[in-house]
Amino acid sequence: MIILPEIILSIGFLILLCFSPFVKNQPYRIIAYLSLFLIFITQFFVVKDIFIFEEIFGGFFIVDSFGSFLKLIILISAGLIVFFYLIVKNEDSLKRPEFPLVILISTIGMMLMVSANNLLSLFVSIELQSLALYVLVSFSKEDINSSEAGVKYFVIGSLSTCIFLFGSSLIYGLVGSTDFSTISNYMTNQSSISMVLILGLIFILVSISLKISAAPFHMWTPDVYQGAPTIVTAFLSTAPKVAVFGILIRLLVFPFGEIIVDWGKIVIILSVTSMVIGSLGAIMQSDIKRLMAYSTINHVGFMLMGLVPGSEDGITAISIYLILYITMNLAVFLLILNMQRDQINVTNIKDLSGLYKSEPVMAGCLAIILFSMAGIPPLAGFIGKLLILNVVIDSNLFFLATIAVLTSVIAAFYYLRLIKSIFFDPPTEELDILTNNQSKLLMIVFAAFNLTVVLYPKFFLNLSASIALSLFALK
Amino acid sequence: MINLPILPILICLPLIGLIFILMSPENDDFSLQSKKSAIWTSLSNFVLSLYLPFQFNKDIPHFQFVNSFNWFNSENLKLTLGVDGISMPFVVLSTFLILLCVIFIYPQKKKNMRMYLASFILLESFLVGTFSAIDLFSFYIFFESILIPMYLIIGFWGGDRRVYSAYKFFLYTLLGSVLMLIAIIFLYQEFGTTSIARLLDYSLPFYIQVWLWLAFFASFAVKVPMWPFHTWLPDAHVEAPTEGSVILAGILLKLGGYGFIRFNLSFLPDASIFFTPFIYFLSVVAIIYTSLIAIVQKDIKKLIAYSSVAHMGFVTIGIFSANLQGLHGAIIQMISHGIISAALFFCIGSIYERYKTKQISNFGGLGLKIPKLSIFFLIFTLGAIGFPGTSGFVGEFLTLISVYSRSTLVAFLSAFGVILAATYMLLLYKNVFLGPVNSSIEKKAIDLNFNELFTFLVLSLMILIIGIKPNFILSYTTSSLDRIITLYPITIF
Repeated sequence: MIILPEIILSIGFLILLCFSPFVKNQPYRIIAYLSLFLIFITQFFVVKDIFIFEEIFGGFFIVDSFGSFLKLIILISAGLIVFFYLIVKNEDSLKRPEFPLVILISTIGMMLMVSANNLLSLFVSIELQSLALYVLVSFSKEDINSSEAGVKYFVIGSLSTCIFLFGSSLIYGLVGSTDFSTISNYMTNQSSISMVLILGLIFILVSISLKISAAPFHMWTPDVYQGAPTIVTAFLSTAPKVAVFGILIRLLVFPFGEIIVDWGKIVIILSVTSMVIGSLGAIMQSDIKRLMAYSTINHVGFMLMGLVPGSEDGITAISIYLILYITMNLAVFLLILNMQRDQINVTNIKDLSGLYKSEPVMAGCLAIILFSMAGIPPLAGFIGKLLILNVVIDSNLFFLATIAVLTSVIAAFYYLRLIKSIFFDPPTEELDILTNNQSKLLMIVFAAFNLTVVLYPKFFLNLSASIALSLFALK
Repeated sequence: MINLPILPILICLPLIGLIFILMSPENDDFSLQSKKSAIWTSLSNFVLSLYLPFQFNKDIPHFQFVNSFNWFNSENLKLTLGVDGISMPFVVLSTFLILLCVIFIYPQKKKNMRMYLASFILLESFLVGTFSAIDLFSFYIFFESILIPMYLIIGFWGGDRRVYSAYKFFLYTLLGSVLMLIAIIFLYQEFGTTSIARLLDYSLPFYIQVWLWLAFFASFAVKVPMWPFHTWLPDAHVEAPTEGSVILAGILLKLGGYGFIRFNLSFLPDASIFFTPFIYFLSVVAIIYTSLIAIVQKDIKKLIAYSSVAHMGFVTIGIFSANLQGLHGAIIQMISHGIISAALFFCIGSIYERYKTKQISNFGGLGLKIPKLSIFFLIFTLGAIGFPGTSGFVGEFLTLISVYSRSTLVAFLSAFGVILAATYMLLLYKNVFLGPVNSSIEKKAIDLNFNELFTFLVLSLMILIIGIKPNFILSYTTSSLDRIITLYPITIF
């Protein structure tokens, strides 16, 4: 039973769905606890089969270390989001048992996505996770911003779907199959690659760029991040990014690995624009959620850079960067979730001022996380950046590397701005952040994880190297 | 003799002390217990660092006390520590100045004292790491990590415009160093190693050297700082708390000079020859222009800050003259400036503590009020001028001799720096300490307390010792410098 994790998650989800109307007392908490438990069990089964390599359903899906590793990250971030949901004070509209369940469906979609081995199965799983995400974004019905964000996200998402379908139909028309290995074989046998195929790939790339919010397809990101309920934004910026990045890597490395010359240039452009827009756009933001949206765009640009050489080292570097990015992002969102004054969520950077006075431990951990996001050594964020730059310079792309480091200096400015608010500004009105001990503990865990990567990078490097290796085994 | 892993101990000991400092209870701004932990940590680290000069073999030009850790999974990417004659004095200088800072802080009250001390102790670990890293990546990591505690020190405990200055300091320095990161990665890709000792065996074609030289230059020129990259320095100095300025002027600026010797001069000799006129030009401008600016400053701290830029101009001239006198001069000048400027900033801190002002126009006749301080300030002033018998003289004298053999014009122009230094320093002394007592400082002030007295006494002794017997440092550096000079191609111009 190779797809046991997905089966367990699906069946568990269905049981919880039927069970949820019959829970009397605080149904959302019970369901969230059960979902957490379910995710935990699924993780166990993913870890158990992490070194297995097998194609299933006639090549429709594939189970390999790369996919299993990404599934693990997705499950961990989904689990953490459900855990956040349990420990922070939520708006009343979110306190419904459907909320954790929709997160579960989306997670199933993402898990299928990273193991897709066919354009068709890929499409179906992308749709599964996206539809769930549309629901999540517009979950607070009373909040007009949330509904606006939902509509925006839905429209852009559907557009992305159309583009994806169009691209796949072009490829299908030429190759006669949607199977990844058939596409790959077709390209190896062909002496010259038809423009139609490249056009199809470009459409697919655009569609995926819309999903990972790589500039110039990033326009929706700040609005949706700001409008969606904070816990949903935290989810949006982590698990789906991993899944889409995973499928981007899989597509570009395996079936389209032959035409690296063609997509290399496109990825360079995507990455440069993302880094520039991500760093410049955030400078004037006063809303921390919008700021995090631009920060995401910047990080995505940085990660895309590692894809350009299409090499094993590049994938290793991206895998490490993904783990670090996810943990750092979740830590910052944990802070934002805790930013409440008189029971109302606040998201202005100014609201953070003087946090160190009321919450010295949390502020200290955040300093570690934020300096790490800025890529200042010796913190873990630097290791991620170093590995990616190493790959880029290895393929003699000095221009790209220079832009990357210059934009990361600009990006450092807005992380410093957050640190400045937390440490240097005099406290205005105190946030009622004090109450939550679990959040504090979790924040310490995030900071400790960051320092662990610094002190013992070998483990993470070896892990990601073996994962990257499994991806290239297909070739 | 047991082989003590002295450098890892020097780096780890502050980190252990850090835990004690952070664990100590903080009930008020005085925070006695954390101060005790900080004193013990920095004292034991300083005493341990004295192990280096005593066990150092002066005849070996190569790295000594080498310790290597396999930190990354690559064989060629290691955390390697070691010192040679060039870096050893700076390691001791770092532990020495941090100890003095902690002693100076001891009687004070400050908001969040515990964190303040913690920042300095953390800084100590990073500083020792930077000077003793003999692997490019380890060097870069330590070099950059210094920004974190320094940003917090300036931004949290600084003056009115502290936030602006902290940003400026951080972003200027970061911008310079990221370019160095690209150069470092390039060297790694090219030769498959980042060990400084092994990289010395390779040579690169000229056009690549030029690009790498510029990348390293971007980082170190900001750090030194050279004109026109110096604008962060006055801001950072003026706004930083006293001890922050001391560390900034005393050690952080030396990282730039050290980097020039270690990387630009040793790895990229052809490009260094090519760029020598450029360096001379920037340094001469720095010496004359910033001295002139210093004369008209109204704030004591700003004046000293500008004088630092001028003094570091001598360092860069000395380094790129690339002969033994020049490099000796540069190292002595760096260490002497590290001590003298640290001493001057301590003095300003003491004055500020008593009168809460740094404006020169508010002072006058201070010598009648706090006579002991005025004596020490005179010694430090003479040191800053380069009076014979003080350490400042040795550095400037050696530098001027060396550059005379390269270019008479540069020597002639930079000699003006000595005269201008006398002008601004003596004017400062006259305006602040001599003459009738200014009405704004009439209130009674206590003369130096024991900790201040001790700090100033030690620093003035150091200035005199180095001034009278510079060989006490130079004997360590000679063989390592000789190696760089013999590798340096014969200059033509």
